[in-house]
Amino acid sequence: MKIVVCVKHVPDTAEADVVITPDKKGIKKEGLAFGINEWDEYAVEEAILMKEKYGGEVVAITIGGKESEDTLRRCLAKGADRAIRIEDPALEGSDAYALAKVLCAVIKGMEYDIIFTGAQAGDDGFGQVGQTLAELLGIPHAALVTKVEPQDGKAKVHRELEGGLEEVLEIQLPAVLAVQTGINEPRYVSIMGIRKAKKKELKVLSLSDIGLSPDEVGEKGSLLTLEELYIPPVEKMAEILTGAPDETATKLAGILDERGLIPK
Amino acid sequence: METIDGESFGEKYDLFVCLQCGKCTGSCPLSMRSQLSPRKHVREALLFDNEVVLDKEFLWDCTTCATCRLRCPRDLQPVEVIIGMRSILIEEAKVPATVQEALESTFKNGNPWGRAPSKRDEWAAELSLKSASEGAEYLYYVGCTPAYDPRVQNVAKSLVRVFKAAGVDFAILGNEEKCCGNEIRRMGEVGLFEMLMEDNVEIFENYGVERIVTSSPHCYNVFKNEYEGLKAEVFHYTQLLCEKLDNGLLKLTKELKKKVIYQDPCFLGKQNKIFEEPRKLISSIPGVELLEYDREKERSVCCEGGGGRMWAEATATGERTAETRVKEAVALGAEIIAVACPFCMLTFEDAVKMTGYEGKIEVKDISELLVEAIE
Repeated sequence: MKIVVCVKHVPDTAEADVVITPDKKGIKKEGLAFGINEWDEYAVEEAILMKEKYGGEVVAITIGGKESEDTLRRCLAKGADRAIRIEDPALEGSDAYALAKVLCAVIKGMEYDIIFTGAQAGDDGFGQVGQTLAELLGIPHAALVTKVEPQDGKAKVHRELEGGLEEVLEIQLPAVLAVQTGINEPRYVSIMGIRKAKKKELKVLSLSDIGLSPDEVGEKGSLLTLEELYIPPVEKMAEILTGAPDETATKLAGILDERGLIPK
Repeated sequence: METIDGESFGEKYDLFVCLQCGKCTGSCPLSMRSQLSPRKHVREALLFDNEVVLDKEFLWDCTTCATCRLRCPRDLQPVEVIIGMRSILIEEAKVPATVQEALESTFKNGNPWGRAPSKRDEWAAELSLKSASEGAEYLYYVGCTPAYDPRVQNVAKSLVRVFKAAGVDFAILGNEEKCCGNEIRRMGEVGLFEMLMEDNVEIFENYGVERIVTSSPHCYNVFKNEYEGLKAEVFHYTQLLCEKLDNGLLKLTKELKKKVIYQDPCFLGKQNKIFEEPRKLISSIPGVELLEYDREKERSVCCEGGGGRMWAEATATGERTAETRVKEAVALGAEIIAVACPFCMLTFEDAVKMTGYEGKIEVKDISELLVEAIE
């Protein structure tokens, strides 16, 4: 089985203070820890599990600067066979559509049965690249995938729906599957493993290498333009509890009790 | 069995001279409650292939307290054999989820607690401390747990107050500080440990650090005994403060009428033979009566916080050693259990709650007792 997995190197902003840059188009990256996008970590694991079960090849692809090779090396160490990174100054300002065009340009000449992506990225959270890529390649897709069972040119795919519902689809392969977290248990990869994987092929391509013109990507090639990033104002209803952990826990329990949220 | 570097366990750890006397297993604080058996593992390392370790989840029970090493009549290091076996588990990705999270966070964030590197110096926000770039006689290496854990942050804050009172000229690395790797090596992640060591040695060199003082015996141990290329002299804070006490620079004037018992941290006591300084600091506080456990100093019992155990759910059953120690302390009439290690602090705080002795006995770091005696 030939598998492609698209990954993204993103900053971890769960706890860190996010500072918007003066042009209001991005965030300051200094002091932030970067790593593989959480959803992509599951997508890579699923790709490797497929390869381990059915044989074949896994190719990991990312769009990004040199630093995103950290994420590709992790994928290679986990079991991907080769990796491709696309970098070009013209890519700045690309939306999900423009990024999908880039991925399409790389992938369309390749052989593939399944293209895995994460359902969304932890930084911009668009959740659109997978579906757009499928559309551009003219193949079916499923998003928020929680289980994949390939069978004779098709796959049985489980999707997570709202309210705890699950949908089971039969999908024609090749297809794009945008993976939800929790689909598997991503394996640990040691630093020694990452070092050993340095021998594996990691190809760096520019826009001209993949046959795209600068006008097809970046702001010009996008359907969406980012106007402004801002941090939502703190609403008056929000109450921040201060004090030692046991004091704040007591206050919180008091509030929950007052509002009748603790079953008696 | 072969190490991850391809050497045989027998040769690397000199296991052919093992007598199979079993003193290691007899002295292991976990062997009564877990399948962990250093003697057996030494034998297995000689007789079997690597596959044998793959289903041994209990290898994560070892606290690396190193009592087995201390008692071995042939000067062998059963604890290192267990660490070597963990390295095999790491390379084979047979890692408990919680250990995996700690290792991945250490790689990404520079700490095993899953916390943002930009929040590392938050505990010191209002203390206006010197940063390493300004230069100072000592670099105070805070450590991950005192930097991030809400309870143990008070140890770092207390140390700052005591250092200032004793006139210690010190600086911190702030958000540039990253994990020392002592626990990482013991969890068997050799590559990550080497990476941290190289990064830290470079950071220390960049700032021309000549003396490092640590909050934790774990950081102290790894800097002192395992870092290659580190030129700086390393001190645990109890050593530095004991020296200041002897020189008359640390004055303990306020009375604390309490019965205090001291828990020797394994990485300070057993593994580095620092027994007297902590005791001297405690007993120099006016009014304090220092009690001793029956099993103290080299015979002291591990709190079960070391060797990655802060991030590994043990397979061991029965009463945790920290709970046994709390009960012993209460029976001896102690009002305070004094610790000198962030992990002892956390395991004992839990143990006091688990044994129901909350309100009857307190857990305090020596630095916290000293603050009470100077202010």
